[in-house]
Amino acid sequence: MLAVFLITANSYADTQEPTMVAIAFPSTSENVISRSTLRAVFGMRLNKWPADTPIKVFVMKDDAPEHGAFSKNILQVFPHQLRLAWDRQVFSGQGQYPEQVTSTQEMLSRIASTPGAIGYIKINEVTNNVRTLQIR
Amino acid sequence: MCVPFKFVKTTVGFFIQGVFLLWTTFAHAVNLMGSELQLHGFLTQGVVITSDNNFLGQSNKKASTDFREIGVNASLRPTSDLQLSAGLLSHKAGGTDNGNVRLDYGLADWTISSSEQGRSGIRLGRVKNSYGLYNKTRDVAFTRPSILLPQSIYFERSRNLTLAGDGAEFYLDRNYEAGNLFVTFALGKPQIGSEASKVALVGLLPNGRFEPKIAQISQAMYEGDGGKYRLGYTVLRFDTHYSPGVRDVLQAGQLKSMVQIFSSQYNAENWSLTSEYALRPISIKNFGPNAPDSTTHGQSYYIQGSYRLAPKWEALLRYDVMYIDSEDRDGKVFAAATRRPGFTRFSKDWTTGVRFDLTPEFMLRAEYHRVDGTAYLPVQDNPDPRALERRWDMFMLLGSFRF
Repeated sequence: MLAVFLITANSYADTQEPTMVAIAFPSTSENVISRSTLRAVFGMRLNKWPADTPIKVFVMKDDAPEHGAFSKNILQVFPHQLRLAWDRQVFSGQGQYPEQVTSTQEMLSRIASTPGAIGYIKINEVTNNVRTLQIR
Repeated sequence: MCVPFKFVKTTVGFFIQGVFLLWTTFAHAVNLMGSELQLHGFLTQGVVITSDNNFLGQSNKKASTDFREIGVNASLRPTSDLQLSAGLLSHKAGGTDNGNVRLDYGLADWTISSSEQGRSGIRLGRVKNSYGLYNKTRDVAFTRPSILLPQSIYFERSRNLTLAGDGAEFYLDRNYEAGNLFVTFALGKPQIGSEASKVALVGLLPNGRFEPKIAQISQAMYEGDGGKYRLGYTVLRFDTHYSPGVRDVLQAGQLKSMVQIFSSQYNAENWSLTSEYALRPISIKNFGPNAPDSTTHGQSYYIQGSYRLAPKWEALLRYDVMYIDSEDRDGKVFAAATRRPGFTRFSKDWTTGVRFDLTPEFMLRAEYHRVDGTAYLPVQDNPDPRALERRWDMFMLLGSFRF
């Protein structure tokens, strides 16, 4: 009974929410990243890559399905909490907002052309111009 | 009937268009010599109506609009290890604050070391205190859970004691698979030389002022599972000297306090449960015969639930309690000694509210408070203690815009 419920819940999630993947500038030093590091990066609390390149974070609008799916399923943080964490840092002088893009095309072109860039995209829209980051 | 409605609709339409234009032209980010300059701000207007007593202006049986928060801030990141930020704030709050523009914070944040495991650094300048869950952005309506923060811990009356410090804050963040640990330690001078701070501490009659001395504030906050739960502990120590005025009723005394706050929060996808508990002992010494040496054991707590009804709607319910002296909760001993009402020594506030986010930039809120006791009311708005009513109601409205 429980198994049936879990499968149903799972397939519901699959059909409703896009499967997301973290992407970065093609010559980024990293291939693999831990979830805790990814949370720190998207929480705007880690500002440079191990090789000292400044990190540039790109996100989509808070209510974009991609943003919701990436926050909840990959970062495992609710989008409204991410927003609150950014607001608290920006309005106390401790951090800056990530840059917001309006479309998948813009996300891809900005990540491909900005050294240190990181963002996310639907797994079936990944191109050769960006690096996919595996979660450790 | 139709004409005024049309007028309102047109006016609101123009307002929203104007705001949108302002927002798009102001833009958020400007490239300045290769690094990003971000500009942000907010404008909040509140309306307060009380059944008795005054809060945030002359609100007794009429609408007070003396509650306004306007802020702008800029931040610049010349390197990945350095951020320069400043925020200006005008905070109009009835008789306690006239809305003069002040430096809310102005700091250089230098990350000394940073890795995947975390970071550490120092913030120098005027730094907002890490005091409980909400103090750092207490005047930014979008980051508050309600129109009015729980007054038992985030006093409007004596806000300058805990607001910010001129000095340094050291910080250490640790990122673990299970959660994050944030530790801060700050040394700074609070802005307590003002008349409002004096009144909050010793009342209207004494005419001297408090000399700010370095306060210490430490906080450890653990956020588990991507922020699903947060547990925190804050300690603030301050010690201040009083310089009497001419023919003052008080002598050159000393006031000492150590505030401890225990914070906890659980966040589910659609609801949050938050509670904070504070111990606030205050000792006074050498103020002379009109204020004998004493220690009062202040105690505060609140429990708050919020529920996201729909993506743009949130509802709130809270019970907020404060005792000025937990050894004299109902104020009987105080009343016998001073002939002033005992109910000025506690407040128990049931709050219910609703938030509506019209757009990500524009928010509306309404809130109702049923209060027993008047401990959190500022004396500036209520100079005559005999005019105070023990049980009172308060209705608040708020509109806030940000860019």
